[in-house]
Amino acid sequence: MNPPTTPSLELQEVRKSYGDFVAVDGISLEVLPGSIFGLLGPNGAGKTTTLRMIMNIIAPDAGVVLFFGRPRTAKDLERVGYLPEERGLYRKMTVTDQLTFLAELHGLKRRQALPAIETWLEKVGLAEWAKKKVDELSKGMQQKIQLVGTVLHEPDLLILDEPFSGLDPINQALFKDLLGEYKEQGKTVVLSTHVMEQAEKLCDHICLISQGRAILEGELTAIKRELGGNSFRLVAEGELGRLDDLPGVEQVVPHNGVVKLLLHPEARGSEVLKEIVQFLTVHEFRSEEPELEEIFIKAVRDASESR
Amino acid sequence: MRLRAVRIITKREYLARIRSKAFWISTIALPVMMAAWSILPGLMIAKTKARQHLAVVDATGRIAGPLTKKLEEWSERTAQQVSFEIEVLETGPDRETQRAELDKRVLEDEIAAWLWIDQELLDEDRVEYHAESVANIITQETLASALSAVVREVRLQEAGYDAEAIAELSRSIDLQTVRLSEEGSREEGGLGGLALAFGLFMMLYMTTLIYGQQVMHGVLEEKSSRVVEVVLSAAQPIELMAGKLIGICLIGLTQLGIWLGTAAVLTAPGFVAAMAFMPEGVTLPTISLPLVIHFLLLFLLGYFFYATFYAMIGSAFDNVQDAQQMAGVGIIFVVLPWIFFIPVLNDPDSTLAVVTSLIPVFTPFLMMLRIAVKMPPAWQIALGYLLTFALCVGMIWLCARVYRTGILMYGKKPTFKELWRWMRYT
Repeated sequence: MNPPTTPSLELQEVRKSYGDFVAVDGISLEVLPGSIFGLLGPNGAGKTTTLRMIMNIIAPDAGVVLFFGRPRTAKDLERVGYLPEERGLYRKMTVTDQLTFLAELHGLKRRQALPAIETWLEKVGLAEWAKKKVDELSKGMQQKIQLVGTVLHEPDLLILDEPFSGLDPINQALFKDLLGEYKEQGKTVVLSTHVMEQAEKLCDHICLISQGRAILEGELTAIKRELGGNSFRLVAEGELGRLDDLPGVEQVVPHNGVVKLLLHPEARGSEVLKEIVQFLTVHEFRSEEPELEEIFIKAVRDASESR
Repeated sequence: MRLRAVRIITKREYLARIRSKAFWISTIALPVMMAAWSILPGLMIAKTKARQHLAVVDATGRIAGPLTKKLEEWSERTAQQVSFEIEVLETGPDRETQRAELDKRVLEDEIAAWLWIDQELLDEDRVEYHAESVANIITQETLASALSAVVREVRLQEAGYDAEAIAELSRSIDLQTVRLSEEGSREEGGLGGLALAFGLFMMLYMTTLIYGQQVMHGVLEEKSSRVVEVVLSAAQPIELMAGKLIGICLIGLTQLGIWLGTAAVLTAPGFVAAMAFMPEGVTLPTISLPLVIHFLLLFLLGYFFYATFYAMIGSAFDNVQDAQQMAGVGIIFVVLPWIFFIPVLNDPDSTLAVVTSLIPVFTPFLMMLRIAVKMPPAWQIALGYLLTFALCVGMIWLCARVYRTGILMYGKKPTFKELWRWMRYT
């Protein structure tokens, strides 16, 4: 099971509690280079605490955080970009000064930072605002400046906490494109979100956390295949009531003229279809991918039941 | 802690403040206020220097003449605050009528006051002075001493002493104040020395407090604008704290530098002569290099104590109101030096002065006062510095712990118990 490459980020049994409240209850995960890793979970699941522990903004009570296969050092901050959930800017500084400050803190020289700032402001459409004070910018513009501040030093690992909150669809698309570019360069992105659709479109690996525990982790396509079960969508006419009696069918869920068939894991769709066409006029029959949201809700429910 | 990160944060803090209008306004406004405070009363007194018209009724006929001469002499010789224009009157036929007339002239502002001298009064060592205001202390004292001198001379002459011998023998004495210090003694006006001590004490006091508070507001602003975690993505909390403390400290030093530099120019002998605004008899104290060095060292010690205290408060709360409430606790350290100000000034070697100036929280202010008034023994200065330095180190350590936890806390006011836990938490 050893991956051929060193993970960009690795968590081993990381744990954090505040008094009696366990915020993060032993989370382990591995993020490989060149992937977009989604940390998913409902509000209060422990996502932000986990990310803060990764950044050592909060010290874990137990467990290990490895950056690029080694325990993290202050020097690693120069290879990592972090966009916190609670984010803001110095109101009285100009955009350029602000970004130069962040770039310098991330280890860039001033003369390297200035052209990079220009390029990035151009990219996010804020070139004319370079000399303006942050005060004069709209919320959405500030969000973009914050993202630019996170990526200026071209980090190998990008950690984004709820990066899309408060962004309009156009800027969300812009952010997604930027993340896609990042991934293509072989760099790593870890992001947290509670909006499953975003995760579904962006991530190739996910980790679902609920109540501080990782309840599901792995490659998104694999998870879908595994947990999606044997589900088919059927549009047909005839005696739909007889579907329940077919061998291999576990559940029939009719909805607006469409029937959702859940088959036994061992059953094969093609065999079942042969039976169905005997008594129904079939218009459509196809395998259906479950939505991440369904998987998520089911996983969270199962996890809390098994406790 | 990475020095590079500290330097970048320091630079940001410094530039953000040096570019702000508030800095320049306070740099200019504070000395103007202090100058107005100290110079205006002087100017107002000087204004009353306008000659005062004085009527003198001398029934004896022996005093008025010499008195006029004496007052003229004094007015020429020294920069007396007041000078008089004397109108000598004969005693009229009716004593009461004349007195009533003189009163009328005073009330009509024709004369400022009138003196009544007769033998009867003189035998009781008295002279009457009638004026609208009897609170004009400088006028009265000048008159009283001139009269005493004149009457003494007249009496001695009448007792048969030679006028020249009297003049020779009755010269008065001026106290020449000489301030002793390790670097040798120098002449110095008592008033000037006091002004210097007060000025240095005030300057230290105000800058320490102002910049301590600025640290608190800076920390609060970073919290409320939610910029703190963004900065923490690239810097450790201790780096952020150190950068902020040093940056604001440098701003304080810049301001003090501007003030001290200006003061040095203004008190340079040539400049003072050119301005000629200082009342005569007041020698300006020179600001010596050791004094400046002590001042700056004490500023650093005082600043780091108060700034870390305020940084701690700023980090523990997330709005100015709550923080100010807590900062009120700190006011106690700030008010107490004032209580000891006068006793220390009066007797800088008293046990009270020595003990209070060695209490670390007060050392920056009270030791400054003592150094300005009379250089304390070296061991006391060294001990004061050492104790305050130790306290500062402790405060920085404590502050770093509270700060680290506090800057990410939003939404609830921490209790003392929680603060205590943050301090112990590693």
